[in-house]
Amino acid sequence: MIAATTQNPLLEGLQVRRRPEPCAVVIYGASGDLTQRKLMPALYALAVRRLLPDRFAVVGAARTRESDEAFRARMEEAVRDHARDPFDREVWEELAAGMRYCTLEAPDAGAESRLSAILRQLDEERGTAGNRLYYFAVPPSAFEPLVREVAERRSREGWVRLVVEKPFGHDLESARRLNELLAERFAESEVFRIDHYLGKETVQNMLALRFANGIFEPIWNRQFIDHVQITVAESLGIEGRAAFYEQAGAIRDIFQNHLLQLVAITAMEPPIDFTADAVRNEKVKVLRSLHTPGPRSVVRGQYGRGFIEGEEVPGYREEEGVAPDSTTETFVAAKLHVDNWRWADTPFYVRTGKRLPRRETTIAIQFKRAPHPPFEETAAEGLRPNVLLIHVQPNEGMSLAIGAKVPGQGMTIRTVHMDFLYGSAFREALPEAYERLVLDAMLGDATLFTRADEIEEQWSLVDAITAAWKRDRPAFPNYAAGTWGPPSADELLHRDGRSWRRH
Amino acid sequence: MAAPLTVEGWDGRDVRLGQVEAELARLRGLSAAEGRGSQQRTSVMTHVAWVPPEWLDAAERTLEGMAERHPSRTIILVPHPESGQSRIDAEIAVRWFPAGDRSVCGELIELHLHGERARAPASIVLPLLISDLPVFLRWRGEPVFDGPQWVQLVEVADRVVVDSSEWRELRYRELAEAFGQAAVSDIAWARLLPWRLELAGRWPGIRDQEIEIRGPRAEAALLRGWLCARLERVLPPAASSRELGVRVEGDELAPQGAGVASPSDLLSAELERFGRDRVYEQAALAAAQLTGV
Repeated sequence: MIAATTQNPLLEGLQVRRRPEPCAVVIYGASGDLTQRKLMPALYALAVRRLLPDRFAVVGAARTRESDEAFRARMEEAVRDHARDPFDREVWEELAAGMRYCTLEAPDAGAESRLSAILRQLDEERGTAGNRLYYFAVPPSAFEPLVREVAERRSREGWVRLVVEKPFGHDLESARRLNELLAERFAESEVFRIDHYLGKETVQNMLALRFANGIFEPIWNRQFIDHVQITVAESLGIEGRAAFYEQAGAIRDIFQNHLLQLVAITAMEPPIDFTADAVRNEKVKVLRSLHTPGPRSVVRGQYGRGFIEGEEVPGYREEEGVAPDSTTETFVAAKLHVDNWRWADTPFYVRTGKRLPRRETTIAIQFKRAPHPPFEETAAEGLRPNVLLIHVQPNEGMSLAIGAKVPGQGMTIRTVHMDFLYGSAFREALPEAYERLVLDAMLGDATLFTRADEIEEQWSLVDAITAAWKRDRPAFPNYAAGTWGPPSADELLHRDGRSWRRH
Repeated sequence: MAAPLTVEGWDGRDVRLGQVEAELARLRGLSAAEGRGSQQRTSVMTHVAWVPPEWLDAAERTLEGMAERHPSRTIILVPHPESGQSRIDAEIAVRWFPAGDRSVCGELIELHLHGERARAPASIVLPLLISDLPVFLRWRGEPVFDGPQWVQLVEVADRVVVDSSEWRELRYRELAEAFGQAAVSDIAWARLLPWRLELAGRWPGIRDQEIEIRGPRAEAALLRGWLCARLERVLPPAASSRELGVRVEGDELAPQGAGVASPSDLLSAELERFGRDRVYEQAALAAAQLTGV
């Protein structure tokens, strides 16, 4: 007999997936694009895989007037259009049974009490136990009052977690203000600042690549790496988001968050474990070590008219809602230095832009050349330095460029690629970033979310760059849509005797 | 599951293994030369299957159902020891599956081992293994545990997958001799997963409750063995039945999860495991002890 033991001996050997505790997810901004394209398909994918809590509910909250039925119908359409799994009526019915809608007419105490009543009712009917995950998919202007209301409505039973979408502020001061607003009412462990890039498998695979393989970490430093190039390229324009983009530009839209997080993941020291604080402690050290680049080390650009996939597209200033003399940048490239022992004198060249020739996010680790190739110069003409290329999207995977002998007489060496494609080695479809992140938030795991101090370090760097921009008026547009940015972006590397990766 | 884009095949009678490798390379090159985009061979393991002729149809159906889930080189060994001639006949196929804008290939090598050539299968498998990748051995039917084929192939394999429900006798004690050499999986054990989840969820009440098991011989014996080993008490013998069933304090349990996994799904899941399954080993040994086999 097993006496007096509380350990369950039947669980040993069973890989029981951690399932979140019962909870209700409240989506503020439920009528928006993000809810339809990402959040609801992510919840559906989790439901298909039985990863949602047994007792679960979703409350959509937005200003748009809508009934529960209309909300469910709209969400069903969203799932049919955007989910990665085929539509399964049974799964959907189960998910939809716990779905409610609350019309918000902010500022309106009545609306909030309606939401409270819905949540209390769901606790009773669905057993959600007072646990709440609030997802703020709302514009910054709506964020502050909603946070105050959530804090006031906070129940004594159950937990409260807040998922906050970007943009988190528009400069250091506003980000600090938001952090203070949250910190006054919530513990840092209750706040989940989302950067969906961190939910991508390939970004997490960077951690696996570096810290699960004995061969990379010993050479992951200034001694062996010549430089790093990170590209976040989009072929799309602003897609009707002129009001947002005119204020944000490429530096706030992509550079401040996604790009700097990719730099942090690439450059960080090994964490002692994979817990939220251990990982984020190491990332923030990198962000603190980033040397503020001088004006010559940052390039900005704006696209003019050009061609994407053979189709003529308008210039940025011709887009609807954009000022005809707009100086908003649609392209940023920078040479960054991580001032620490590992990376001293090893530049990180980063760039992001809209209307570039193709959609691509890559991290390229370019190694130093072999010190003394014992071949004739002509033999190695086709030889390029070794590059480890991490494809974040699309075609997720990795490539290693190595020199190999061309078969035949004599000695001719060419660069060839060894490829690892996620899609070919692991034949399971990659989960969408939002699936992982929403599930982690329900589980209370903040490892893949950005902490307050990280956000502030990121803004601090961006503020330093934009302060310098205020002093001059750029000659925009300076690159044609469908090209890899302005010539000055190439010069940024040419000055150092380097060039952007060939695509 | 995607259907293969293309299948290139070749077969030969009385072949040498070098020929098999050469033909595989030729078939891979053939597809590439036909300009079907960038193609690559990505393998995560070598999958060896020992398949006596009476199991061949079932094995092929299982492999078909797995399609491209495990990019691998699959070597099916079909022994014909009674055959008068000593030779190897081969049927090979290279199958290309879509993977984004490229395609990825899986290789299927079916070798019929006639006469003497069925005696030393490891010497046939070894030259065909993909270096540095794990070797999974699926043994169809009941092994002859002291036979050279079992002994040799277990030595080559990192993981051995059997299905004790395919055996005429529950010979877990003999199977246990392989536990120290390779990780061992049993498809009959894999079928118990939904039941184990359900029973584990009943802790701690289940510690002292009355448990009755009925079902097919292998599954029922393993479930009983597992419960006895983990709860450290002896449960009454399992009753024979076509379907597995468990009663706790007279209440009929329902297994967790939806639906019954297909043979392909079960094998596929086993091909994703690497380490030893100590809980299974313990359950199999307990089953052997309880049933006296």
